[in-house]
Amino acid sequence: MRLIALLILVLFVVVGVVVGALNADPVSYDLAFAKLTMPKGAGLLVALVIGWLLGGLTAWLGMSLRHRRVLRRARQSSGKTPARA
Amino acid sequence: MSILYVLVLLVPAAFASGWFAARRAAVHRSGMRVSELSSDYFRGLNYLLNEEQDKAIEVFLKLAEYNRDTVETHLALGNLFRRRGEVDRAIRLHQHLVSRPGLTEAMKTVALLELGEDYMRAGLLDRAEALFSDLVAMNAHAPSALRHLVAIYQHERDWHKAIDHARRLEAMTGDDESPMIAQFYCELAEQARQHGARSEARDYLHQAFECQADCVRAFMLTGRLHAEAGEHAEAVAAYEAAVGADIAFVPEILPPLLNSYARIGQMERAEHFLRDILARYHGISPVLALTRLYHQRDGERAGIDFLTSQLRQRPSVRGLMALIDATMDKIEGEARENFLILRDLTRKLLEGQAMYRCSRCGFGAKAHHWQCPSCKGWSTIRPIHGVANE
Repeated sequence: MRLIALLILVLFVVVGVVVGALNADPVSYDLAFAKLTMPKGAGLLVALVIGWLLGGLTAWLGMSLRHRRVLRRARQSSGKTPARA
Repeated sequence: MSILYVLVLLVPAAFASGWFAARRAAVHRSGMRVSELSSDYFRGLNYLLNEEQDKAIEVFLKLAEYNRDTVETHLALGNLFRRRGEVDRAIRLHQHLVSRPGLTEAMKTVALLELGEDYMRAGLLDRAEALFSDLVAMNAHAPSALRHLVAIYQHERDWHKAIDHARRLEAMTGDDESPMIAQFYCELAEQARQHGARSEARDYLHQAFECQADCVRAFMLTGRLHAEAGEHAEAVAAYEAAVGADIAFVPEILPPLLNSYARIGQMERAEHFLRDILARYHGISPVLALTRLYHQRDGERAGIDFLTSQLRQRPSVRGLMALIDATMDKIEGEARENFLILRDLTRKLLEGQAMYRCSRCGFGAKAHHWQCPSCKGWSTIRPIHGVANE
């Protein structure tokens, strides 16, 4: 399983290097507050990294919020038990 | 423009990829923790449930080597073994904990305290004493260690050291240990009395009174010392003071007190005193004493009349037996045979009865002890009030 993951990673790196080399010409982005000029390949990479990080952040936030909710409910229920008894 | 389309498509894909990766990592991490706990803890628990405690201990000990959080679990486990009476296992476990490198000082002292308790339970009092003394010197868990040391010196009957450590405990915790210290002085006085050192015994009793002004045992010992010296008037005063300090000890105090009254020929005073007790104390002992007094002074009839009138108010097997003994001579024929059977029956009924009970742990005893043999509490054993007892 680890070998397959490693092979896929190598494949992506090779594809990335090839795509980066083929798209070395600069491209300009107007972000309203700033103007950026970078190679096309680098732009692609930055977009992918930002998307990946945002996805990870969303998942982490969702999981931690769910954990907190579960903990709060557990505390509430344990707090109620002695009152019933 | 084509590159922008590619970017627009790839960014959601990267987002989804990041989302899955983070989620998978979180699930994997919590799963790792559970499996780490479950594989070793449940194996250990399984051994415990299968009564294979040696293997369970091995598993838990290995767990302790790489996980510091399990130290408290081990302390609890050792405690459990000690309570179950498996002291050798508790000792092994606590010794291992103490010898572990990297254990915090606080945890090490807790383990030492537990080890000391193991030694005490195993009867290795010298080792326990050394450990507890070290803990007191380190000022770590000193009150508990001092309490154990006092218990050890009581067991060894080294009353001087017991007094010294009890006073240190008192100074450290602020708890009042003076009734216990008074008992230690009484023990010393008793020892001195047995060796014929009366003045030394009186000194100890003086110190006992300084600790506890109303110490019944000290009053009784003072009375005994005076009686042995032939000073019966002083003995009577001491015994009367003992009754005043705690009326529950009347069954213990009355026989020597009545003897001293008789020696100084003050039976009128004895009668007044017993009458006074009768109103305040609901046991049978003063009734029996007064019955004997009336029997000797006013004749058999007066004694029996008094006893029967009192037995209606406070029914008692001991009183019944006294009544049977007193009336036995007057009965003849078949009734006498029946009375003999009744007397034997009541005697057997009384033979199996515990006359005293510890008010702290419920230990039942036939004779009086100043220290409860079970819970080691001082002056907690008291006469049982009931039809078949006092």
